[in-house]
Amino acid sequence: MNCQDRLYRRAEPGLVSRRWFLEQCGVGLGAMALRDLFGAEAFAASPAAARGENPLAPKTPHHAPKAKRVLFLFMAGGPSHLEMFDNKPQLARFDGSLPPPELLKGYRSAFINPNSKLLGPKFKFAKHGESGTELSELLPHMSRVIDDVAVIKGMSTDSFNHAPGQIMMSTGSMIFGRPSMGAWTCYGLGSESQDLPGFVVFSTGKKGPSGGNSNWGSGFLPTVYQGVQFRVGGDPVLYLSNPKGIDQDIQRDSLETVRQLDEIRLAKMGDPEIATRINSYEMAFRMQMTAPEVMDVAREPQHVLDLYGAEPGKPSFANTCLLARRLLEKGVRFVEIFHEAWDQHGNLVGDLKVNCAETDRACAALIQDLKQRGMLDDTLVVWGGEFGRTPMVQGGNDGRDHHPNAFTMWAAGGGIKPGISYGETDDLGFSVASGKVHVHDLHATMLHLLGFDHTKLTYRFQGRDFRLTDVEGRVVKELLA
Amino acid sequence: MAERRRKLAPPSEPSRRWLKPIGVAGLCLSFAWSFSGAVRAEESDDGGATPAAAARTVDYGRDIRSILSDKCFACHGPDDGTRKGKLRLDNRRDATAPAASGESAIVPGDIENSELIWRITTDDVADRMPPAKTGKPLTADEIQKLTTWIEEGAEYAGHWAFNPPVRPDAPEVSRSEWARNPIDAWVLKKLEAEGLSPSPEADKTTLIRRLSLDLIGLPPTIAEVDAFLADTRDDAYDRLVDRLLASPHYGERWGRIWLDAARYADSDGYEKDKPRAVHFYRDWVVGALNRDLPYDQFIIDQIAGDLLPNPSQDQLVATGFLRNSMINEEGGVDPEQFRMEAMFDRMDAIGKSVLGLTIQCAQCHTHKFDPISHEEYYRMFALLNNANEASAAVYSPDEEMKRADLIRSIHEAEAKLRSDHPDWLDRMRRWEEAERQRGPDWRIVRTDTDANIGSGQKHAMLEDGSILASGYAPTLHEDRFTALEPVPSVSAVRLELLNDPSLPVSGPGRSFKGLFALTEFHVEVAPADKPNERREVRIVKATADANPPETELEPIFDDRSKRRRVTGPIEFAIDGKDETAWGIDVGPGRRNVPRNAVFVLEEPVSFPSGVILSFRLTQRHGGWNSDDNQNNNLGRFRFGATDAPGAEADPVPPRVRQILAIAPEDRTPAQTNAVFSCFRTTVPEWSEVNDQIEALWRQHPEGSSQLILTKRDQPRETHLLQRGDFLSPGEVVEPGVPAFLNPLPDGKPANRLTFAEWLVARDSPTTARALVNRVWQAYFGTGFVPSSEDLGTQSELPSHPELLDWLAVETMDAGWSLKHLHRLIVTSATYRQASATTPELLEKDPYNRLLARGPRQRLDAEIVRDVGLAASGLLDRTMGGASVYPPAPAFLFQPPASYGPKQWPEATGSAKYRRALYTFRYRSIPYPMLQAFDAPNGDFACVRRARSNTPLQALALLNEPVSLDCARALAARVLTEGGATDAERLVYAFRRCLSRPPTAEETDILLALLARRSQRFASGEADPNELNGESVELPPSASPVQLASWTVLSRVLLNLDETITKE
Repeated sequence: MNCQDRLYRRAEPGLVSRRWFLEQCGVGLGAMALRDLFGAEAFAASPAAARGENPLAPKTPHHAPKAKRVLFLFMAGGPSHLEMFDNKPQLARFDGSLPPPELLKGYRSAFINPNSKLLGPKFKFAKHGESGTELSELLPHMSRVIDDVAVIKGMSTDSFNHAPGQIMMSTGSMIFGRPSMGAWTCYGLGSESQDLPGFVVFSTGKKGPSGGNSNWGSGFLPTVYQGVQFRVGGDPVLYLSNPKGIDQDIQRDSLETVRQLDEIRLAKMGDPEIATRINSYEMAFRMQMTAPEVMDVAREPQHVLDLYGAEPGKPSFANTCLLARRLLEKGVRFVEIFHEAWDQHGNLVGDLKVNCAETDRACAALIQDLKQRGMLDDTLVVWGGEFGRTPMVQGGNDGRDHHPNAFTMWAAGGGIKPGISYGETDDLGFSVASGKVHVHDLHATMLHLLGFDHTKLTYRFQGRDFRLTDVEGRVVKELLA
Repeated sequence: MAERRRKLAPPSEPSRRWLKPIGVAGLCLSFAWSFSGAVRAEESDDGGATPAAAARTVDYGRDIRSILSDKCFACHGPDDGTRKGKLRLDNRRDATAPAASGESAIVPGDIENSELIWRITTDDVADRMPPAKTGKPLTADEIQKLTTWIEEGAEYAGHWAFNPPVRPDAPEVSRSEWARNPIDAWVLKKLEAEGLSPSPEADKTTLIRRLSLDLIGLPPTIAEVDAFLADTRDDAYDRLVDRLLASPHYGERWGRIWLDAARYADSDGYEKDKPRAVHFYRDWVVGALNRDLPYDQFIIDQIAGDLLPNPSQDQLVATGFLRNSMINEEGGVDPEQFRMEAMFDRMDAIGKSVLGLTIQCAQCHTHKFDPISHEEYYRMFALLNNANEASAAVYSPDEEMKRADLIRSIHEAEAKLRSDHPDWLDRMRRWEEAERQRGPDWRIVRTDTDANIGSGQKHAMLEDGSILASGYAPTLHEDRFTALEPVPSVSAVRLELLNDPSLPVSGPGRSFKGLFALTEFHVEVAPADKPNERREVRIVKATADANPPETELEPIFDDRSKRRRVTGPIEFAIDGKDETAWGIDVGPGRRNVPRNAVFVLEEPVSFPSGVILSFRLTQRHGGWNSDDNQNNNLGRFRFGATDAPGAEADPVPPRVRQILAIAPEDRTPAQTNAVFSCFRTTVPEWSEVNDQIEALWRQHPEGSSQLILTKRDQPRETHLLQRGDFLSPGEVVEPGVPAFLNPLPDGKPANRLTFAEWLVARDSPTTARALVNRVWQAYFGTGFVPSSEDLGTQSELPSHPELLDWLAVETMDAGWSLKHLHRLIVTSATYRQASATTPELLEKDPYNRLLARGPRQRLDAEIVRDVGLAASGLLDRTMGGASVYPPAPAFLFQPPASYGPKQWPEATGSAKYRRALYTFRYRSIPYPMLQAFDAPNGDFACVRRARSNTPLQALALLNEPVSLDCARALAARVLTEGGATDAERLVYAFRRCLSRPPTAEETDILLALLARRSQRFASGEADPNELNGESVELPPSASPVQLASWTVLSRVLLNLDETITKE
C-alpha cells in the first residue's frame, strides 16, 4: 500500500487519475471518508479501478498459474545429499581413498584440503513407492509420500560459503540488496489475504539464517513486499499484542478516534496517503484479531497434530509446518521456513539423525495434509538448502565440507510432476552428470509454475530491468506435470 | 533490400499502420511538458500519411534516446561483447554506417532506405525488431517518434547529464511578484505552461514545523512556535532558517541521509555480522555538515583523507566511508573473494552517491546503456585498489587533549632527566654500543600455512617469512606450523609478533584491541629424512620483551568455563596450564607494537639430515562465541631459530633498533629522543623518574578504534575481471576514468587522491547535479530526476532541467556550500506553499512534480521516532559517541531469529531515548521500529529510500515499548504543565505533537475520548495503574485515572498521520 512507489514503476499513465487513487487508497474505512469527501460517484466502476492498483491486490500473471502459493522449506547449512537422497554405492566402494585428481581441478573448498579422502555414505538406501525413488533410512516418512514428490538431484550453485549461498538461493544473486523470491512473488501476484502479510517467514533451527533479514528482503522492490517474520512462541508478529494496560476496549476506542481525526485531515489536505494510513491501521487491527487465532495450533484436531508431530505450545519445526499450512489456507502467498541445522562439518551421523527425526515427519505430513485438503494441486512446496556436502571427508570420518557443485532438493505440488527423480550426479556425487538445475533454473521453474515468464517479471531499478533470474534461468520442463 | 521493400507495399501503408490509435493517450502527466510538442496518434491519423509531426520537432535527448536505450542498446549499444549484427545505434557515425547486412540502419532524412524503419515495422516475425523474445515491442508512438526523428535528419545529441552544467538564465514569468528566488521562476514557468497556479503560502505554524522537520529532523517546541508567530519582522522566516541551519541537530538530520548513501552500519554483515567500531565516522559526518565543510572537501576526505598531507584524525576517520562495506568472516571464506566484493561495493557506493551513476553493470561487462566499458570500470577500480584496509586508534576531543598533556609531561620528564644528568649522551652511546653487539643471529624459519585449514582461520605467508592470519577467527584452537626447510641444529627458537595494517589497530594480534594471548607454545623436531618421527622438545626458559603482570581476562573473553583465566608474563606460555597465557597488554597508547619471545630448548637438537621444526600455538584464551569479536588470536607472526647458546628476547624495539643503525650525527632529534626513551629504562638509578613516566602512561585514555584506509606502499596490480569473477583475471589495466566523463587532472599521479579530486572537479558533469537532485528529493519527495542513483541514459529526463543545472552551478559557485543550497530551497516561494491538494490537482499531477503545492510526506523512520520522543519530552539530545541500544525484543538477538547470539545491552536511563541516529545498527537484525518505517539496513548504498505505509508501522507506533513510553511521558507532562483544565491540557498536548492547536471538531472528538476513558478507568472496568506502569511518576495532584486517560489520548495523538508527516 504504497502510492508513491508507483512512480518508479513507470505505471501506465492512464491509470494515474483520481479514480486510481480512490481505488488504491480508498478501501475500507478510508473509503467511507472519501465517500463523504467526493461523493459516492467516485466509486463508480472504471477500467482503472478494475485493474486494481493496490500493490498487494491479487494480480493476474502472464499465463495461467499452476501454483497459487509457495511453501519454501529452506534447510539452511547445506544438507548432505549423500546421506539422504543421492545413493552412491561407488562412493562407499572408494571410501578412504583419494578422489581422482581430474575431479579436483580448479575446485575450491571452504575448510578441507580438497585432496582429502572420500567418505562413503553413512546410511542405507532403499526404493520406495510406485516410483521406486531411492531414499535413505533417515527419511521413513518422506518414503511414504515420495510418489507425490519430484526429487531434483542435479542442483548446483555458485557459492560455497553460507551467507552468499543462502542469499543466492533467496534472491538469485550473491550480492546483497536484491529482492527475495517471496518478494518477487508478492510483487507479481499480490496477496489474497486482507488480514495477514503476503509473505511470512519463520526461523526454527539452531541458528538464524546466514545473512539475516536480507534473505527475505524486498531489495529495490517496494518494501511492502518484504517478508514479515512470524514467531512460533509468544506474539507471532512483533508488537502485535496490545501493551499491558491497553485492553480491547481501549484499543478499539483509540483506533476509532485516530480514524476520525485522520479523516478530518484527509478532508482538509486531500492526500491519498492519509487514506492509505487509515487503511493500514484498519489492517493492523484485523491482524491483531486474526493472527493469534491462525497461529494457535491447539485449534487443530489431535489427529492432525499427530500427523505432523506437533505439540501446541512447544516451538518446533513440526509446529511451524502446521502453522505454515494454516497461513497458506488463509491466503498467505509465500511462506518460508528457515531451518538452519545442516552444517555437518563433524558429527555427520548423529546430527543427521536428529535433524531428520525433527523434520522428516512434518515434511511428509505437509504433503499429506495439503493433499487431503485439495491444496497440494496449487501449492508449490520446495525443500532444500544453499548447497550440498563434499564426497570427501572433513576431520576424522564423520564430517563433510560445503559443496556447491551438486546437491539435492525436492519439490511437490503446484504443477510439479509427481513421483520422479530428475538429474543425476557422477558416481561420487561430486558433479552433476545429467539434468543440471542451477539455482537460477529452479527460480525460473518456480516462477513459471506461478504463472510468470521469468524473463518478463522485471523491475526497473538503476536504469535497467532486474529479475529474479538475473540474465540466466531455464524453466525445467522435465519437472512440470 | 529491394526484395524486402516489396513486402512493404504500398508505400503509404506503413505510416498508416503505425498510426493506429492504440492506447497512447494521456502520457504520464509528470512528463507532459516534455511531450507538449509530441504527436498524438489520433490527431495525426486525421492528418494523413505524412504526420503532423513534420512541422514539429522530435528531440533526440528528450524523445529518442530512452527508446533506443530501452529497446535496442542491449544488442546494439556500447557493449561489443553482446553486439548483434555489428550494428551499433548509440552514436550517429556507427548507426549510419553500413552494418553487417550491408544496409545502413539509419539513412538520415530517408525513411525508405533506413533499414531500422523497415525492421521495426515489418510483419515478418523473423526480421522484426526488437525480437519478440525480448518482450519489449515498440509502441506505435515510439515507432512514430523514431520515424519522425530519421525524417528530420536523425540528429544525435549527447546525454544531457554528461555535459557539465552551465548556469542558465532564469526565465521570464508573468507572475514575477510570486517568485522569491530563481527556483520559483522555473517552477512558475512550468506551472504556467500547464495552466496551473502555485498554492498560497502555508500558515506560519505549518512553516515552522515543516522547516524544523526538514532542517533538524525534530518538531519545534511550543515556545519556538510562539516566538515565530510573534515575530512580525520582515525577515522572521529567514532568521528562523538561520537558527535551524546553525543548530547542531542540522548535522544529525542531514548526516543520516548521507549515512544511507555511505551504507553506514555498526556491524559487519553476512553471517557473523559482528559489531564493528565505526561511530567516529558517523560523528565525523554530522560534524562536517554542521561546520558546512564544502561538499568537494567532504568527498575528498572520505575517498582519500589518508593521502592528504599530514592527515588529521578527522581526515583518516572520513575514509571510513569506503570501509563501510560488509565483511564476511564466516568459516572457510577466501578473504580475497570478499575483499573484491567490498571493492565492488565501494565502486557502487561512489557511483550512486557521488557520481549519480550506475556503474555496477560494468563490473561484469561493458555497460549496455551508458557509455562505460568493462575496461573503464576496472581503470577506475584501479584508482581505488591501492589501500590498506586498516583500523586506527582514535580519540575523542577530550581524550585527545588528555593525551597531548600526557605526552608533553613525559617529554618534560625526559628533558629534565637529561638536564639533570649532563653525561647522558655518553652513557647512552655506551649502551648503544653494547646493544649493537647483542646476539644471536636468527635464522627465519618459513613454515607451511594450510595445515591448519580445519580451524577455519586462513594463514598467508608474506614475503618476509611472516604469517598473517585472516578470515574466520576461531576463539579456542591450536595450530601447528611445520618448517618447509630443515635447519642444521637448533638451541632456541624465536617467535616475533608483527604489526600489519589488516589487523585491528594494526595488531599484532587479532583481538578487538589488536592483542593476543598465547596459551601454550610447543616446539617439535623431526629429522629431515624422517619427517614423521616428530617429537616434542622441552622448553626450559622463555624470555620476552613484554611481561605484563598477571591480569584476569576481560569479560568479552569469557569462555563460560567459570575458570579464572589470566594473561601475564612469558612463562605462562610454557607452564602447561590451560588457564594461563602470555599477554602483551602494557596499556593504551603503547600496546600495538611488535613483540618478541625466545624459547630455549632443554638441549640443542641436531640430526645428520637436518632438523625439521614444528611450532604448535595453543590459543585458548578467546571467548565462547566465535560469531562475536571474542578471538584472542595471534595476527602476524614469524618463527626463527638459532643454534647459539644463551639466546634471549631482544628488549630493544625494532623501531629503535632501526635508529641505532643510523649514525648518531645523522639522526633527527625525534630519533635521538626515541633512543633515549628506550635507554633510560635500562638505568637502575633513574627508576624513580622511570616509574613516574610509567604512571603517566597508565593515565593514557583508552580511546576507540575506527575502520579506515591507509596508503599502501606497494600498489596492487588491477586486472580486468571476466564477468566480475576474481578467479578469472584478464589483462592488467592502468588507472583511469571513463572517457565520457571529465578527464583526470593533468600532471597528477593516478592515485586515489587524484580520483577524489576528479570526482568533485568543477567540470564533473554529474557530481553537483546528483547532489542537488538528492537534496531536492529530501525536501519534495522526488528529485528532478526520480532515479537519484542514476542520472545516466536510462534515467527519466529531469522535471526542471534548467533549474537543476542552475542549482548545481550555484552550489559550486558558492564554494560547494550545502547550507547555501538548503537556504536557497527553503526560502523559495515554491517550498513555502501550502501542501493541501485537490482531486483536480491530484489527477493532473499526482506526485507533485510540477510543484503546484508544498511537499507533504511521511517522515523518515528516524524522525518518526524522534518526533515521539521530542513531543513527549523524553528525547535525550546528547550528540555523538558509541551507538546505543534502545529497548528491543531480546529474542531477536538470539538464535534462531539471529544467526548467532548478539550483544544487545539495553540502554538504561535517558540513553534509551537518544535520537534514532544513534541506535546501534546490526545489518542482519535491523532495529524493528526503524525497519518498519523503511530505514535501509546498510547492506548497500541507498540514495533513495522507499516510503511505504503498512500495518506493521501501525503496530509499531501503537504497541512498541518506547512508543508507549512516549504516550505515558506526554500524559505526565500534560498533567504537570499543561494547564488547569482538560481543554487547556488538550491544546498543550496537541501542540506538542502537531505544533498547531486542535480545531473545535478535533477538540470535541478528543475530549469525548478522554471522558469515555476516564469514566471507564474510574469505574474499575479497566485498571489505570496497569497502563500507567512504572516508567513515569504520577504527577503531583493528578490521579492514576487521569494519567491513564491522558496516556490513551496521548497515544492517539502520537499515532495521527499528521504527527508523523511533514505538511
